[in-house]
Amino acid sequence: MRVLIVGGGQVGSYLAGLLLEQGHAVTIVEMHEATAVALRHALPSVTVIHGNGTDPGVLETAGIRNVNLVAAVTGADPTNLVITSLARFAFNVPRAVARVNNPHNSWMFIPEMGVDLALNQAEVLARLITQTML
Amino acid sequence: MRVIILGCGRIGSGLAARLGYAGHSVTVIEPVAAALAHLPEGFRGRTLVGDVLDRRLLLEAGIDHQDALAAVTPSDDVNIVAARLARLVFRVPRVVARVYNPRAAEIYRRLGVQTVCTTTWGISRIAELLSYSELEPVASLGSDVDILDVAVPPLLVGRPVSVITVPGEIQVAAISRGGRTFLPQPATRLEAGDLLHLVVLTAATDHLVALLRQ
Repeated sequence: MRVLIVGGGQVGSYLAGLLLEQGHAVTIVEMHEATAVALRHALPSVTVIHGNGTDPGVLETAGIRNVNLVAAVTGADPTNLVITSLARFAFNVPRAVARVNNPHNSWMFIPEMGVDLALNQAEVLARLITQTML
Repeated sequence: MRVIILGCGRIGSGLAARLGYAGHSVTVIEPVAAALAHLPEGFRGRTLVGDVLDRRLLLEAGIDHQDALAAVTPSDDVNIVAARLARLVFRVPRVVARVYNPRAAEIYRRLGVQTVCTTTWGISRIAELLSYSELEPVASLGSDVDILDVAVPPLLVGRPVSVITVPGEIQVAAISRGGRTFLPQPATRLEAGDLLHLVVLTAATDHLVALLRQ
């Protein structure tokens, strides 16, 4: 499968590593140049594009028209939602996953915003703790 | 009209003031309390301080029964997300987002979010003023139609009014000649020294420039 990851921080790079191990083709879009350079060293078989993932031109350069899945995992929720909206409604990507940074923002991660699956770290942690530890 | 304005910077505060003076019921949401000082003295609308994407705050502002919403924060991403949610979740009938990235503006317009791209608008306006200062509008009718005064270019002297008439785009409304002004016929010949009063669709300005240079 071809996967486009937007956001090459800890979540994005870890996800890229996992996907590579499973034999998928991975492209990462990363806004900060230093992080992009570090990613190229750490993950030589990943295509790393330095640019803003909400810019449709950058997404096209990253091959968004030919991917099976987009994962929007930047640290900014509005940015992730713009990416999923563009992926679904401008570029017809079949599936889009988004990271929810602030649990109060989870109400916005809906199919109308192009989100098939919202990953809410804080919510998962809190639920696990309250359900298994108390 | 009941309007929510997200962001109280220069555009947000100016828009709030203008709509407020016009008698509309305005609610401004702004994350930085100090920014509300941009509002004019005597502003009678409502102000709420907090995250413009906070669902509770939006509901407190009455987003589910508004006539319009303008998303004019400094962030393209926030504006686009807020505008789409206002349309799709809260069914606000009129929604406009301000964006800086012209490429995204075009895509979002196609996706049903009305955008105003201050970058594109600024570029075309400045380019217009730099290159065709003779085409500065003397008046604007709404935002789509301008009234322009143009001195007849030498190459058009002797030609009929119909050569600078484009149905639906460019109309010669009147001609000032020798101290008097009259309404021309399509066959009226242009004379040296004529001042043309044109009614022009803003989008057809380039077309007019081409006609005047023929």
